[in-house]
Amino acid sequence: MHEGHRVSAAADLIAGIARGDRGDFERFYDAYAALAFGLIRRILRDPEAAKEVLQEVFWQIWRDAPSYDPSRGSPEAWLVMRAKTRAIDKLRSIRRREQTFVAPVDERVAAAVGTRADDPGLAAEDRGLAQGALEQLPGPQRRAIELAFLEGLTQSEIAAKLGEPLGTVKTRIRLGLERLRAVFKVDDA
Amino acid sequence: MSRDELQELAAGYALGSLDAEDRGRFEALLRGGDEAARRALRQYEETLVRVAAERPESPPLDVKAALLARISATPRAGNGARVMPLTPRPRRSVWTVVLAGAMAAGIAAIAVGLAVSSRYERRLEALGQEAQTLKAELERQASVLAILRDPATQMVALSGLAPSPGARARMLWHEKAGGILVAAGLPPAPPGKAYQLWAIAGQAAPVPAGVFSVDAGGTGSLRVQPLPGVTRVDVFAVTLEPERGVPAPTGAMYLAGKSA
Repeated sequence: MHEGHRVSAAADLIAGIARGDRGDFERFYDAYAALAFGLIRRILRDPEAAKEVLQEVFWQIWRDAPSYDPSRGSPEAWLVMRAKTRAIDKLRSIRRREQTFVAPVDERVAAAVGTRADDPGLAAEDRGLAQGALEQLPGPQRRAIELAFLEGLTQSEIAAKLGEPLGTVKTRIRLGLERLRAVFKVDDA
Repeated sequence: MSRDELQELAAGYALGSLDAEDRGRFEALLRGGDEAARRALRQYEETLVRVAAERPESPPLDVKAALLARISATPRAGNGARVMPLTPRPRRSVWTVVLAGAMAAGIAAIAVGLAVSSRYERRLEALGQEAQTLKAELERQASVLAILRDPATQMVALSGLAPSPGARARMLWHEKAGGILVAAGLPPAPPGKAYQLWAIAGQAAPVPAGVFSVDAGGTGSLRVQPLPGVTRVDVFAVTLEPERGVPAPTGAMYLAGKSA
């Protein structure tokens, strides 16, 4: 009911930030840092890495506010998409580093990581998603969306990991997001 | 393109999971002003906002303080670089017009210069940070290689114990260079907790060798500095402890391994 007001208030704050208003920046941070940090922490378990990413995301908000285009989506979406992208970048760089360490030491260690991540129940439990909307999705849809959203895999990588055709993965992701959209009643944004 | 196909592309794009070719196709639609593509993307992005909003988490207070300090220390593009309109007045002399023109040109040049210079400053800042990260990474890799090459390096396999039997780890240890622990299959530590590595020699008390956390996939690594007074290590073990670490083990043991 108040969605329009909330979005426009956030958009006003972004406009203020674009003018260099630090008060508006603080208000935007106070209102939305927990939203971004919650997602970043679901992607990155390391609290220090998550803090670093959060700071970088809000630094980008401060720097890039003049380029925010309301016709492309809400400020929250602008923030959340940035938070997700930066956190996934960080996750990939951590993984690259770990693979460098693991590969010469023991291939089985790397294999063990894959085995564990393949267990959807365990992965969901790890992320504390037990009561979330993702949990309401059928397992295969949830798993495909989690691998994309929280682990940064491409659709081909997901297909290879789950041993399923690419087309099936694409369909599952679409159906899963459609169902979530219905759960959250997201209409034409 | 069918509606389903468009929605598949939009869903994958919102999740950041499209492969290069599909991404190119969808971006071409967006560039071409395809309203259905834009609408589908906006809807899926808003859906992901709702997914994220289900689990907000308050960030540590020092992040905001650090951001505000960074903002104060860095002048931003655009501030003070706005071109003020010159109000034309009737019956101006030729010199007034010339002077006004020159001033306008000068201000415009300053504004453009400031904008360009701030863009380069930002780029330089980003490159500087990138260089620092790469340098640190190189140093890390060099120290790993040095440890791997030295025949005096001990390699110890750690196996998972009762709390997490599927966990495993490898510890490389060199008394002068320190060591590296790489662990996999550990459950993420609960809030306020972290894993702590211990080095045990003979009957001596365990020596704390550092704390580490694991990512969502259960993997973590720890670079261990040389431990004063510790030469050869007989056992390495990992326990779950308060996140700042403790001087002597108190929590459950998750991993342990004896050196050969």
